[in-house]
Amino acid sequence: MSEHLDSAILSSLQEIMGEEYPVLLDTFLADSEERVRLLREALGQSDAQALRQAAHSFKGSCSNMGAPLLAGLCRLLEEAGRRGQLDGCEAQLEHLERELAIVRIMFRSERQRFVIGRS
Amino acid sequence: MTISAQLSADGQELIISVEGRFDFSAHQDFRNAYERVDASPKRYRVDLSNANYLDSSALGMLLLLRDHAGGDNARISLVNCRPDVRKILAISNFEQLFEIA
Amino acid sequence: MPELKGDKGFITVLLAEDGPADRMLLATLVARLGHRVLTAANGLEAVALFEQERPQLVLMDALMPVMDGFEAARRIKRLAGEELVPIIFLTSLSEGEALVQSIEAGGDDFLSKPYNPLILEAKIKAMNRLRRLQATVLEQRDLIARHNGHLLTEQRVAKAVFDKITHSGCLGAANIRYLQSPYALFNGDLLLAAYKPSGEMHVLLGDFTGHGLPAAIGAMPVADAFYSMTARGYSPSEILCELNAKLKRILPVGMFCCATLLSVDTQRRLLEVWNGGLPAGYLRRVADGHYVELASRHLPLGVLENDAFDTSCDVHPLAVGDRVLLLSDGVLEVSNATGETFGEERLRTLLRECDEPARLFAQIQNALADFHGEAHDDASMLEILVSDEPISALPMQEYGKSWLISSQDWSASFEFRAQTLKSFNPLPFLLQLLMEVRGLRPRSGELYTVLAELYSNALEHGVMGLDSALKQDAAGFSEYYRQRDQRLSELDAGFVRFHLQIVPNGEGGRLLLRVEDSGEGFAVAEELARQQSPTSLGGRGMRLICRLADECTWDEDGRGVSVEFCWNAGA
Repeated sequence: MSEHLDSAILSSLQEIMGEEYPVLLDTFLADSEERVRLLREALGQSDAQALRQAAHSFKGSCSNMGAPLLAGLCRLLEEAGRRGQLDGCEAQLEHLERELAIVRIMFRSERQRFVIGRS
Repeated sequence: MTISAQLSADGQELIISVEGRFDFSAHQDFRNAYERVDASPKRYRVDLSNANYLDSSALGMLLLLRDHAGGDNARISLVNCRPDVRKILAISNFEQLFEIA
Repeated sequence: MPELKGDKGFITVLLAEDGPADRMLLATLVARLGHRVLTAANGLEAVALFEQERPQLVLMDALMPVMDGFEAARRIKRLAGEELVPIIFLTSLSEGEALVQSIEAGGDDFLSKPYNPLILEAKIKAMNRLRRLQATVLEQRDLIARHNGHLLTEQRVAKAVFDKITHSGCLGAANIRYLQSPYALFNGDLLLAAYKPSGEMHVLLGDFTGHGLPAAIGAMPVADAFYSMTARGYSPSEILCELNAKLKRILPVGMFCCATLLSVDTQRRLLEVWNGGLPAGYLRRVADGHYVELASRHLPLGVLENDAFDTSCDVHPLAVGDRVLLLSDGVLEVSNATGETFGEERLRTLLRECDEPARLFAQIQNALADFHGEAHDDASMLEILVSDEPISALPMQEYGKSWLISSQDWSASFEFRAQTLKSFNPLPFLLQLLMEVRGLRPRSGELYTVLAELYSNALEHGVMGLDSALKQDAAGFSEYYRQRDQRLSELDAGFVRFHLQIVPNGEGGRLLLRVEDSGEGFAVAEELARQQSPTSLGGRGMRLICRLADECTWDEDGRGVSVEFCWNAGA
């Protein structure tokens, strides 16, 4: 699974959620789009505080879902927001969006595999 | 306040020593000293050499001991009384009920 | 919100988390532990849900829109009041600032992301244990408060009953000063005073072992017996006998009552004292300022069986202006800041150095207050000034029912012989009988005084042959009463007769009372002449009898005397 998704965490999530596992994945994916939108908005308005808070929230979610790289990128944005240094954030945000795209694809195939495995 | 009890070798006399303040807090320990004894001693000696204070509840405890030991037939002596303690015993005229030395 | 049925530790958990995936994950985790889960997406929803459902535990995300976790936590803690609703903050441990804020907002613990199911379970268990502990503490506190309330109510009732029964009697008389603690009931202190029908004053100062209700319980029968027997004219010895018997019966072994009983007879100028276990009282002689110690010679009341109980009293002559002082243990035990007690030495110094006897009582009070530094609450004290105020006719108090409402025409005779004279005091009985006559009731005091005087003469001077000339001074007094006790115990012959006759007289009636004794008699005329002297301590009280009765005549040989009391219609 590589460094994009932590397989140990995913197993644990599967074990906890049981039948609801796919729902969890879907929920995360849907929510992550909203999170990115908030990040874009904050950056667009040069609102360091909002950027920091949005990045912090998303970071937590990502780590819960076993996406360490994504979480790390959130942390960088959170730091930048905390220091009020918004230069370079545009690039980081793009990097984050790319990573999210990868994670999204991997979660979808996870989902697929789970459903098939169950039937 | 410490209470200790010692039975004589022949089991005929029980010596109860009271140290410190002989007051209401000594109630349970004093009772245990003479109730929890396997023998039935004929005489009792209450050693008050280290008792620096005696109040009316202590007098009451002595009366309970006397009752336990046979009432009018009891033989109980209160020994080594310090002056203050002796004074209290004198006012209550307890020498009419106990041997006081 | 009460705990779920069965109380296997399953509770209701409120989860406030704004990330939907996180929320879902955590909710599932908690539900799998068996608990009921409520979810909120922001602080405002969390507070509302809390108010509505009252969960037992809260998992709170710190950063949420609308209202953050800190504010929500503060509000929830306020709503919870004195109950413990643990709040576990969901946050990252790396942010020290957030941690401080969490604590200040009332957070009890933290859970970091990613959520570890084992850690979550452990924390919920631990917090739940704490919560139950707090709930127990509150429950027990309320229980204790309720019980305490009951106890206080009971004590108030006990005090009310106590105050009614142990009323102050004649403590308000002009020649008495007293100090009694408001906590007397609970200290086991008793102070009673009452007049006999013939005018002697009985005083009882008592100190029960122990405190509180057990002490008060003994006080009530004692007070009742004291008042009723005094009112009926019983002697101190008889009253002591009854009190000892009552207390021996009622109190458990080990409980007793230290007491001093006084009889102050201003007419005959004598003081009888019985002290069992109390500190010495003092009699201050007006003549020389000398103090007579009234020391404890007996065991306290309620210790001995009646057959071993010694009721003998010490007798002292009294002069007008003498003062009697009694005090309880509490007075000597008043302590100062360093724990020293006031003690007997200080008291005796005070007594010795007092140059204004009228201020003695106040001086002692002040000295105690100065020593202690504030008002003490455990001391009882009494001072009686022997005065020559005549005591006006005391109405007989109604104790008990009277069976013959108005008996106007009868006679009765009694002969009391040696064995009876030794142990029986016929006066209360005779008085009771005469009180059946309505017309005599207003004069019960005089009647009793005359009866007592006649009986005492007949018994002491007649039957026992005691010489009243002995009673000239204090030493003679002691000797007289010593002889009296001795001769009475050795008595084997002799009698005293009473003849009572009630006859109608117009609309009213007359009592003809005659007393005879088996003694040698005396020279009536001489004795009458001698009794003119107002300073004689002893004598046969003939003047007194003549003054109180309507008529009185002695037989020439002195072995009999007749007196009369009359009353009119409407009495």
